[in-house]
Amino acid sequence: MIDPRSPRFGAGITAVLLAVVIVLGLSAPPAGDVASRILNPPYLLLGAISALFLWGTTAGVARHPYGLLFRTLVRPRLGPPRELEDPRPPTFAQGVGFVVTAAGLVLGALGVPFAVSVAAALAFVAALLNSAFGYCIGCQLYLVLLRLRPSGARA
Amino acid sequence: MTVLTALLALAALAALTAVTVLVGVLWRRRQGTAVAVSPASAPTAIDPALFGASADRFGSRATLVQFSTAFCSGCPATRRVLGELSARTEGVEHLEVDVGERADLVRRFAILQTPTTLILDRHGVVRTRIGGVVRRSVVEERLEALR
Repeated sequence: MIDPRSPRFGAGITAVLLAVVIVLGLSAPPAGDVASRILNPPYLLLGAISALFLWGTTAGVARHPYGLLFRTLVRPRLGPPRELEDPRPPTFAQGVGFVVTAAGLVLGALGVPFAVSVAAALAFVAALLNSAFGYCIGCQLYLVLLRLRPSGARA
Repeated sequence: MTVLTALLALAALAALTAVTVLVGVLWRRRQGTAVAVSPASAPTAIDPALFGASADRFGSRATLVQFSTAFCSGCPATRRVLGELSARTEGVEHLEVDVGERADLVRRFAILQTPTTLILDRHGVVRTRIGGVVRRSVVEERLEALR
């Protein structure tokens, strides 16, 4: 079980980084060949964010760097949480974040215009809603997927 | 990068942030509010077997059916509130259903978020629907109407 404020703290950092990607991506759209598209600051930053999402969803949010940062720097300054949370919802949400940002990276490398900024914008909305309001879009997506699954099929 | 494009990019970010905050505020305001289900729109009594429960799991006055999933951060808080209410209110039962393996229930009750709570009357007819983490006062008020 984890402190529910930990993923929200991490989502806040992610939202700030994604905001940087959006602004840089919109103000300096890449031109030229694949290498120059990839070796572009917003592309590289989104790549780093995407790698952190992958880390969070495979190693679990408890072992995520932001989780460690929260435990060592933030948690000692706060009171105890009202209740603990199952780490599976935020871990699932990290997976959704990875899929969205990875799609932006692939399309961006292929030269689709503004792919990096649009992917960053989608992830930014989710991260901001999560950190500021505790609203987990990824968790809602899970139910939508469930609706599409035929009856009787098991998870 | 010209100053103009940088300013436009910042304006786009500001607009995106504003819309997101608006969505968040509206979402939070709606969380835990009760929506009355008119008996005319869903008059059928629900069989406890639909939730894999025996008949005595339904309350003689009301039943609080809580739909949950493993991927649900608000479910434990809702479980605590509904559990306490049912424990101290005569004739009120709390039934939690994990819909993670019940796609049929997700479709039938159009569940878009967990927790979603249904308040059934003594006949097993849905009377109230609450999306999100429940508020104790809201549930108490709806139970009062089912005396």
